[in-house]
Amino acid sequence: MAAKNDPAAEPMPARDASYYRAPDALRESVRASLAKAAGEERGPSLRRAFGLAVAFAAVALITWNVAIFQAAAPREELVARDVVNSHVRSLMGEGHLNDVASSDQHTVKPWFNGRLDFAPPVPDLAHTGFALAGGRLDYVNGRAVAALTYRNRLHVVNVFVWPSAAPDAAPVTATRKGYAVMHWTRGGMEHWAVSDMSSALLAPLAE
Amino acid sequence: MTRLARFEKSVLPHLDAAYNLARWLTRNDHDAQDVVQEAFLRALRFYDGLQGTDARPWLLAIVRNAGYSWLEKNRPGDVVALDDAGLVPSDVETAGHEAPAESNPEVILLQSANRKLVNLALEELPVGYREVLVMREIEDLSYKEIASIAGIPIGTVMSRLARGREMLRRLIEIRMRKAS
Repeated sequence: MAAKNDPAAEPMPARDASYYRAPDALRESVRASLAKAAGEERGPSLRRAFGLAVAFAAVALITWNVAIFQAAAPREELVARDVVNSHVRSLMGEGHLNDVASSDQHTVKPWFNGRLDFAPPVPDLAHTGFALAGGRLDYVNGRAVAALTYRNRLHVVNVFVWPSAAPDAAPVTATRKGYAVMHWTRGGMEHWAVSDMSSALLAPLAE
Repeated sequence: MTRLARFEKSVLPHLDAAYNLARWLTRNDHDAQDVVQEAFLRALRFYDGLQGTDARPWLLAIVRNAGYSWLEKNRPGDVVALDDAGLVPSDVETAGHEAPAESNPEVILLQSANRKLVNLALEELPVGYREVLVMREIEDLSYKEIASIAGIPIGTVMSRLARGREMLRRLIEIRMRKAS
């Protein structure tokens, strides 16, 4: 009876097995390779500075070219297209919506550990009528992002989250292909919510 | 404090836990060291995602992923899909509590089993059962932490624990009988 709540009552046949401690040599080599990796991330050597300069020049050239072509399709338009497509795809058939299905933010949030290079905020919005349903990895705006899913009565909402260097920005709503799209930036994270609900009803997501 | 210094302060203390899990996944020292090296480099890369969460389960999730990648590449035969359908969590209690521990001769037998024998038996278990036993009984992680590290529901953690324990008990018995 008590098995679930009283771990002391569990039989533990593997408890007598070895706890293998890291050899000292491993500790040393891990520290050395971390220092090396961290050095490569920053260390401003001359060669690196030159490499960076070349890279900047190339990026500037490409950006300038791309800017000319993309004048008609600004970034937000492209992101909106991405998130709406992904929202539609997530609702096609079983199992596309969530990689981790749970209404518990403490289950959904840690699921992203080691799967993304950032920790998406996973707010519990049940009191506003949006019940957390789960999360998954998705690919939007040319990067891996967190997709959080919420349910509001029969509606499903996808909230896509990724880090952004931009300052906080209040929610902006729009409609694309009949779907409500709302995006905002807060605490260094860009958020895009998509649903078939009316865009006015999405407001609590950004509160 | 630099990013690396912060990383070393919060993550490096869990090196033993990382090595222990990798050692039990790969079943040998040399490969475990490779997996740990790779996992720490990944961890450093993803470090900004740690913010505020507990470093040990976070690191172990990365070690586990690195360990599985290594197994899939080098020993694909080790990675077998488990059939979790047979045992539902309600069976777990009965499976684990057939008789009070003191009067169960099996348990008395197990208590006297020596470490080497338990190690060998545990190494024989399929990796999916072995890892939950290692995380629960050797690393003392909670069901919830194991669920998040292995990316499986808590109910599955419990049923794998129950089934893994049953298999381990049987393997230990067989070895003990052979030895005597």
